[in-house]
Amino acid sequence: MQEVSLQPRRAAELLERVETNVHRVIVGKDRVVRLALAGLVAGGHILLQDLPGTGKTMLARALATSVGGTFRRIQCTPDLLPSDITGSSVFNQKDLTFEFVPGPIFAHIVLADEVNRTTPRTQSALLEAMGEGQVTVEGTTRVLERPFFVVATQNPAEFHGTYPLPESQLDRFVLAAEMGPPTDAEALEVLARREHGDPIAELGAVIEIQEVIELQEACLRVVAAPAIRSYLVALLQAVRARSEVLLPASMRAGVYLQRAAQAWALFEGRDFVLPDDVKLLAVPVLAHRLGMRGRAKAADMLDEVVSTVPIPPLRQH
Amino acid sequence: MAAVTRLFRLPPSPIESSVEGRLFVFAGFAVAVLAIVLYGQDYVVPIAGVLVAAAGHVVSYRERNSRRTFWRQTLLATLVFGALFYVLSDSALALFGGILPQANFAILLVAITSFDLKTRRNCYSSMWISLAILYLAAVYAWDYAFGLLLVGWTFCLAAFWTASHLRRNEAAFRLPARAVAVAAVVALFSGVVWFVVTPQPSGAPVSPLVVSLPNFTSFKGDMESPALPLVQIAGDPTGATSSVDLHYRGRLGDSPVMYVRTGAPAYWRGLVFDTYRDGVWTASIRDYQQLEPYVPPRVLPPAPPDNLGTFVQTFRVLRDMPGVISAAYPVESLYAPVSGLREDAYGTFHTPEQLRAGQTYSVVSYLPNLTAGVLRTDAPLDQLPDHFLTYSDVGALSDRAIALAASVTRDQPTYFDKVMALTTYLQTNYRYTLDLPPVPSGRDPVDWFLFDVKTGYCEQFATAETLLLRSQGIPARLATGYATGDYDPVLNQAVVRERDAHAWVEVWFPRHGWVPVDPTPGVSPLAATQFPSHWAAGGVARLLPHLTVGAPASALGSIGALALLPAALGIAVVVAVLYAWLRRRRWVARRRPQPGEVELLRLYERLQRRLGRRRAPPETPLEYQRSIESALLEEVTRAVNEGAYARRWPEPRRVREMAQRIS
Repeated sequence: MQEVSLQPRRAAELLERVETNVHRVIVGKDRVVRLALAGLVAGGHILLQDLPGTGKTMLARALATSVGGTFRRIQCTPDLLPSDITGSSVFNQKDLTFEFVPGPIFAHIVLADEVNRTTPRTQSALLEAMGEGQVTVEGTTRVLERPFFVVATQNPAEFHGTYPLPESQLDRFVLAAEMGPPTDAEALEVLARREHGDPIAELGAVIEIQEVIELQEACLRVVAAPAIRSYLVALLQAVRARSEVLLPASMRAGVYLQRAAQAWALFEGRDFVLPDDVKLLAVPVLAHRLGMRGRAKAADMLDEVVSTVPIPPLRQH
Repeated sequence: MAAVTRLFRLPPSPIESSVEGRLFVFAGFAVAVLAIVLYGQDYVVPIAGVLVAAAGHVVSYRERNSRRTFWRQTLLATLVFGALFYVLSDSALALFGGILPQANFAILLVAITSFDLKTRRNCYSSMWISLAILYLAAVYAWDYAFGLLLVGWTFCLAAFWTASHLRRNEAAFRLPARAVAVAAVVALFSGVVWFVVTPQPSGAPVSPLVVSLPNFTSFKGDMESPALPLVQIAGDPTGATSSVDLHYRGRLGDSPVMYVRTGAPAYWRGLVFDTYRDGVWTASIRDYQQLEPYVPPRVLPPAPPDNLGTFVQTFRVLRDMPGVISAAYPVESLYAPVSGLREDAYGTFHTPEQLRAGQTYSVVSYLPNLTAGVLRTDAPLDQLPDHFLTYSDVGALSDRAIALAASVTRDQPTYFDKVMALTTYLQTNYRYTLDLPPVPSGRDPVDWFLFDVKTGYCEQFATAETLLLRSQGIPARLATGYATGDYDPVLNQAVVRERDAHAWVEVWFPRHGWVPVDPTPGVSPLAATQFPSHWAAGGVARLLPHLTVGAPASALGSIGALALLPAALGIAVVVAVLYAWLRRRRWVARRRPQPGEVELLRLYERLQRRLGRRRAPPETPLEYQRSIESALLEEVTRAVNEGAYARRWPEPRRVREMAQRIS
């Protein structure tokens, strides 16, 4: 059996194709698009935090369509039950058997919209599926098909009737991003594109779902040199040493930061991680999982840390 | 060719940025120079060297990050050659009268190279030269203070290593407490065991435990007779004397009297005395033979029977001395650069004037075959020496002394055994000391020595033995001169000091003439010149500067086992540091740089300097490159990133191509 491994250059080509395709629907937002795609390639899940109507769903759908995978959407409500996500057995009266009807979680890309609106019980069912890559319904464990990528969204403005995700749950997302408001030019462009219909209907797949798995494997092969690891550790230590940090970054945060940096390297066709990748991803990967004291902003603190921690010497002793 | 140069190229040494480390390098040098000042009694070059080195260290530290310029390196190299010229001229021509030209050379070397202490390896080199300077001082050192200097230097080395290495690695220095404790206990225990187990010669019994600092080294003053301390100056134009008074004794210093380059260790025999009256030895036979400066073998007495050959000694006189040629006995031939020589009746040669500092003379002496077996078979006393009556005169020797001599020699079968019995009797039953109270007035020094104090120095021993032998009908006389001295492996010669002045006995044997015998404790009783192999065999031990057991052992005797503490602690510290170092070495295995790595990083550094702004520590190479417009930097940065983060260093050839574009 001959294994054809994806070359970094080819990976960058595929990723660019997907990005271009997504941008046919999403105007601007290069960074968010790339972060979302990086989350997919890194084999993790992402959290989009922004107001409604900023294109979160559109981004998830465009991504799903572009990679040729199945897409499901879970609109989280307070009365949503775990079985509504995982699916349940239904009695088939025709042949008198119980038949498993898979829930919306059985898809390649799942959008969990307003995840903070549902109960902690349902949240944990979803998050367990995210962590394990499998669901257990009525004693039967069912493995979810790869790639499995959850895009959860959270509305940070509303607090009434919400169950904010605790830090331990937030820690499971490889990165979090904000869509951010569109610029005037982008807004005009969005309106122009929608004049005669919805461009997402015309969107087609540009890569195969199998190639997403290959991209994920290529991501694992990207080299993170010892110097990079030292840098990661130094960053995490520096964050821990900050007085305004209440809940420091976990080890998982470090692992995710390394993985995300590996994925980021692929976008530039590199098979090795640069400290620049780590710097760039520090805020998206770390900010949402830090518990801060008072009104301190994690992103500001991280910016400061990243700009002061020395990168390890180029020559390793 | 490139492979060969790579084989011989040392791995790059990091630039030394630790101020403390550099301070300790300088301190190590200062310690070594202090040793030279103390023991070499040389001031000008050492002090100038320290001042220059201090300036050099400042310059080196400030310019540690800049490139070495061609002209400065040339200048430094020229100065090194200048120093070399200095050492050659000073040692060959004594231009500046340097006592230790080679030490001064090393000091100058450190002073010059201290302007070029860029890397850690440079600093270590400086430390090693300091050690060499210390070693040169060790040749002349003769006390515990030197041990303190050595400890000081070792401390500087360890401190430099700590400051430089650990600081650089940002590693905290932790003393392995357990290892230190174990090492200290083991060292202390084994030291005590060694002290207990070591046999103590009965001739020098261990004193009771007295806690005091050893003060046997404190004397630095002059002696009563600076030239030949056993001899009182008495008006002779050559400075030689005709008497030895046992009532007086000049204390002996450590300063060198002469250098002897010799093929075999021997006693350097000077004046001989035959008549003893009231504690004073005089020479009664006043026959002289006038000789030319060169005395060929045919003029001198025939070779002793069965001799083992001859050996050459070259004496270099270091200070003004009486006009007495000290040399191994018997002499085969000799040359002294004087107007004429006189040989006295005892076979000693005299020069017409005093010997001056810097004078040199050469003597060829026989290696007589004098062993116990040979001497035991010597014929009975059928052939008497000339002036037999003089050599048998016991003077006013007390009856109890004569009875003692008779009882010691009574059961001895042969003439030789009688001699040896008396010699070993004195060696084992009397103690050697230099601190002798004055002889009570009215007492004969010999009787007082034999029956009251029972301690004395070489003259007491030799006088007593001579008189005791004479009382038993054995002709004997007193010989004075110097012991061999300390072998100096650097100069390949023995250094004879004031304290090497010695007195011993010459005993008449019918077939072998005058045979030297030494009753002083701690030396071979038969004091004839040894076959040189003895000298060669001792060479390895002598390579270590002055590990002579005598002085430390006598100090041990006076301060007891407490003297072991500093040594044990010193050993423990060294072991602990070594242990810590070895542990560290194992933990941090050094990665060998890959080809192109060093070259590229060096080029990157150079490029940064050239561009006017160096990369800040938190700045990634890419961020740095983006902040500066430079096509070359872009290319170099790409290569640096590939190398540092993907381990793909460029070919050295490519680096050179990039380096050419830098200018």
